[in-house]
Amino acid sequence: MGTKTLSRAPSRRQVVGGLAAGAAITGFPHIAGAQAKAIRIGMPTILSGRVAILGTSSRAAAQLAFRQINEAGGIGGRTLELIDRDSKGRPDEAAKVTRDLINNDGCEIIIDGEASSGAFAVHEVIRDLPVLCVHTCSETSSLSADPKLHVRTAFRCARQGIHDAVAGGTYAARIAKQKGLKRWMTCSPDYAYGRDNTAEFLEFAKMFEPSIETVDQVWPKLFAPDYTESITKILQTKPQAVYSALWGGDLVAFIEQSNLYRLFSNVAMFSGGLGDPPVLTAIKQLPPGLNTAYRYNRNYPAKPANVAFADAFAKVAGHEPTNWAWQTYLGCLFVAEALRRTGGRTEGSALAAELKGMAVAAPFAVGDAITMRDTDHTIIGYPVAWGRTVPKAPFVEDFSDVDWGRIVELETQWKKGKGYA
Amino acid sequence: MRAGLVRDLAAALAGLGLLIALPMLFPQPALRDFLIYFFAYGLMAMSLNLLVGLTGLVSFGHAAYFATGAYAFGLLMQSGLVPIPVAALAAVGGTALIALVVGAICVRLKEIYFSFITLAFQMFIHSIIVTWVGLTGGDQGLRGGIPRPPFLGLDLNDARVLYATCAVVFVLCILAMRQVSQSPFGYTLRMIRDNPARANFLGVDVTAMKLGIFVFAASMASVGGLILALFVSGAYPEFAFWTTSGEAIFMIMLGGMKLFLGPLVGTLLLQTLNHFVTIYTEHHGLVLGTVILVIVLGLRRGLADFLFDAIQARRARRAAALAAAAPAAFAPAPLDGRTV
Repeated sequence: MGTKTLSRAPSRRQVVGGLAAGAAITGFPHIAGAQAKAIRIGMPTILSGRVAILGTSSRAAAQLAFRQINEAGGIGGRTLELIDRDSKGRPDEAAKVTRDLINNDGCEIIIDGEASSGAFAVHEVIRDLPVLCVHTCSETSSLSADPKLHVRTAFRCARQGIHDAVAGGTYAARIAKQKGLKRWMTCSPDYAYGRDNTAEFLEFAKMFEPSIETVDQVWPKLFAPDYTESITKILQTKPQAVYSALWGGDLVAFIEQSNLYRLFSNVAMFSGGLGDPPVLTAIKQLPPGLNTAYRYNRNYPAKPANVAFADAFAKVAGHEPTNWAWQTYLGCLFVAEALRRTGGRTEGSALAAELKGMAVAAPFAVGDAITMRDTDHTIIGYPVAWGRTVPKAPFVEDFSDVDWGRIVELETQWKKGKGYA
Repeated sequence: MRAGLVRDLAAALAGLGLLIALPMLFPQPALRDFLIYFFAYGLMAMSLNLLVGLTGLVSFGHAAYFATGAYAFGLLMQSGLVPIPVAALAAVGGTALIALVVGAICVRLKEIYFSFITLAFQMFIHSIIVTWVGLTGGDQGLRGGIPRPPFLGLDLNDARVLYATCAVVFVLCILAMRQVSQSPFGYTLRMIRDNPARANFLGVDVTAMKLGIFVFAASMASVGGLILALFVSGAYPEFAFWTTSGEAIFMIMLGGMKLFLGPLVGTLLLQTLNHFVTIYTEHHGLVLGTVILVIVLGLRRGLADFLFDAIQARRARRAAALAAAAPAAFAPAPLDGRTV
């Protein structure tokens, strides 16, 4: 009996063989499936968890861009192939999957769909493995503004905090002057981005309209479900205007809860994050007249190409484009143009040389084109307008833009102040 | 030199040889990257098991020391004042000091109270990292990369040298943990785990012993942190978040606590699953959760423990079969001439 049982048990050799076969089955098809002609472009991004829409909408935008480029003949006959990977919002995982995309999956270019610290982690990988990298989601100014962080083959194709602060401050100062809004309060999430963003907005608003006075500031926790305490404090303080750096689901919860207290009937609201279509559609009763920065809008800039992009994106993703979507789509256009100019060569240095100072006539350009500035590898000429909410789609209208010449001038001063220039 | 130490040294050398040989046999950089990641998280899981498995102290805040090591090392290297070995030693030493202070408070508490106070200290350290923006970079992490100036003829900017160095450090740490586990101190900790009142009655200073292993485990976790910091060229607040401690506990649960190397089996399993599942789906949480459920409910112990128990049971059956067969050989033949 005992002998019988022993003879049925797999031998050590069989177990090792089975494990090797298992590894081959799970690991190799991914490599074997590669098309020799395709240019593989990797995308580390956040596809799961609370901010998964950042990654899913960025991925949909890249898929759309590559499909359009491939249908138009690709790059000298070579197609673009997207390989995405979920970093789960963890910077160390972002670094690992980026290395993996380059080393294992043969990606020759990286479109980085990471936010915040993940983008910095990817940035350091690119310093080690210098393929072309285009960051499309990080809004932290220092990523491209701080010369100490400069990486030869890394570029940012995304809005950034300092541009938004100048534009927001300019717009807020104008409205404050028109309506006599002097007593201001802020309600922003209690972490580095929330505090920095709020400080920069107030700095520029006060620079343009010195009568603005900050009467109080409340700092609800990031991802807080209940804003009653902050709303009550605002009601007690009775400011004339409130600025908020809340974003995503937190902003939806804040607006919904503020509606219960009729907060916006007496207070002018200014928000940097409300203009994203998924946020606007998630709010059940969107109050009219709230002031918000442009994140994306199919009617602004008013160009047929912009509407065509919104329609095509909605077919792929099933919802309106997000801020990250247009940035990623634009990033793909920059990459494709650089590849065309190098004749399909994918060396990081060759592509970087082409990308410096490149102007692309994108659907989102305020003027004729959006430019990748050669000095600090970041875009300018994108929409930084502010508008007002209306209850019907596309929910924001009456956009008012800010002159890019003025933004660049103040950005230069800011850089000097920070020791970046 | 005791026989156990010689055997451990031989096993460590063989293990190191295997780790060095692997990237030569399979030269894809992805394997090296995977193994460096495995070294970092493996050290965290192994060191946590010194508390959980060896001493019976379920710490929910072990990632705090993993992060402390990473940040201390990263900041020292960014200062440009010290070479890598000095920064590494200072990071481990600094973490040990912090663990000494935190541990002196924690080890006086028992069971769930110990677990919760370790979690509280972890979140305290996480908060410091997030709020002290000027020093740590806040929620953006340490930016600008961690320089790797050559030292003793080693250039860690070369990926192969970095891998080999990490492998040596990893094996040395595992060997150190093994020696602690097999020492009289380690057996005293087992006694404390099984019956602290009896240990106390026998004259063991239970608090001092617990504090000793708490500091040692934290130091080993910090080495894991600095390996990861070197690899990703940065340090991030996520290293100190409670979910990272939770992952280390998962690794121990998956691998098992009975075998010394059980947590490494869990680390390998979790990292491999994570690596392949993430390639194919973003619903990795569902897949990993299912695997963990199957292992926890199906095996009711870690995988290494299950295999160990199965081998032990097989050996016992064999021994029993041999014992049963041996008397039969000397027994008189039955009268009817049949054999058993």
